[in-house]
Amino acid sequence: MVNLKKKALNVPISGYIALIIALVIFSGLLAKVSGWNMLDFNTLNGKFGLMSSAKATFTGIGGAGARSGFLFALSLAPGVMLALGLMEIVEHYGGLKAAQKLLTPILRPILGIPGICCVALVSSLQSTDAGAGMTKALRTNKDITGNELLIFTAFQFTAGGLIGNYLASGSALFMYMTVPISVPLAVMFVMKIFGANMMRVYCKMFVQEEE
Amino acid sequence: MSSGNQHAINQAQSPSTEIQSNDTIMDVFVCGARKGWKVAIDNIIPNVLMAFVCIQILNVTGALAWCGKIFAPVMAIWGLPGEAIMVILGALLSMGGAVGVAMSLFGAGSLNGNDITILMPAIYLLGSKIQYLGRLLGTAGIPGRHYPVLLGISFVNAAIAMFIMKIIVMMH
Repeated sequence: MVNLKKKALNVPISGYIALIIALVIFSGLLAKVSGWNMLDFNTLNGKFGLMSSAKATFTGIGGAGARSGFLFALSLAPGVMLALGLMEIVEHYGGLKAAQKLLTPILRPILGIPGICCVALVSSLQSTDAGAGMTKALRTNKDITGNELLIFTAFQFTAGGLIGNYLASGSALFMYMTVPISVPLAVMFVMKIFGANMMRVYCKMFVQEEE
Repeated sequence: MSSGNQHAINQAQSPSTEIQSNDTIMDVFVCGARKGWKVAIDNIIPNVLMAFVCIQILNVTGALAWCGKIFAPVMAIWGLPGEAIMVILGALLSMGGAVGVAMSLFGAGSLNGNDITILMPAIYLLGSKIQYLGRLLGTAGIPGRHYPVLLGISFVNAAIAMFIMKIIVMMH
């Protein structure tokens, strides 16, 4: 738990740079800027080639059932590997720490939970299980009250592990979407905050604060 | 043999997901990509395959067309075809499964790009709810009496998010 408190303090400049580059890559901001689109997730992910005179990639047209599902799922692997490879770099260079530091002062006003939840919050965007474990630890150490636990859990429960899951499985649908990949991500993030605030109201009206 | 080759062979022999302090940016990327491969093999392929088999069963029994008709009035609220309900139901079980269902329905011509765009946030806002009862609420120690509220918030979030996406799609 001591770690949770100290971790967010020292953020190297590389952390902010990594965070900004990650936001640019996953937002699709430079998707149509020639040359600079090297900083765009879909451009980096590329595409499967077509066999000569064929109309579809190796996943084919008109497949069904387990065989079709397998080939389709296999076609997702490169996108998932690319996304998690990029996220690993962001984490390695302190990008997540930078996000934690930037989020800390705004947690109380927008979610009604203390800044100490920041590490758990950022982790919960990557992995539901990591977030859940850290949240439990915060409550056990009495760093958050029972009601704060409920509000924080409401934030995590809807769209759990958002960034990790969206980039992993969602990448399969990115090419069919008619808006940039950052738009649904932003909508989901706003709805997570909205959901936590619904719980905040519920707690205020119906839940007796334990301590 | 060059040291680079030797390094590559060592890595192939003992694939690690641990990063050493002297690793280069390429090593870090490869480490993350390796995690991605594990996710693809352990989670995505089995989940998507399961979803495709379910859709196949629903398809050959005619249940899919039936669901499409029954739920058409509900899903029409968001301008979606009735079959889209299968994506929502799939999401409750697993996010990867719902993506598979959406892909399968897209392939069959039941959903188009705009439909998938509208459904996208709902897949995740409602995603894996059944699993998360244990993995998140159970782990965090939330009393059972609050579960219905937490589930309700997820459904309200998904419904609102689909309206927002509908407006965005219409403006785009």
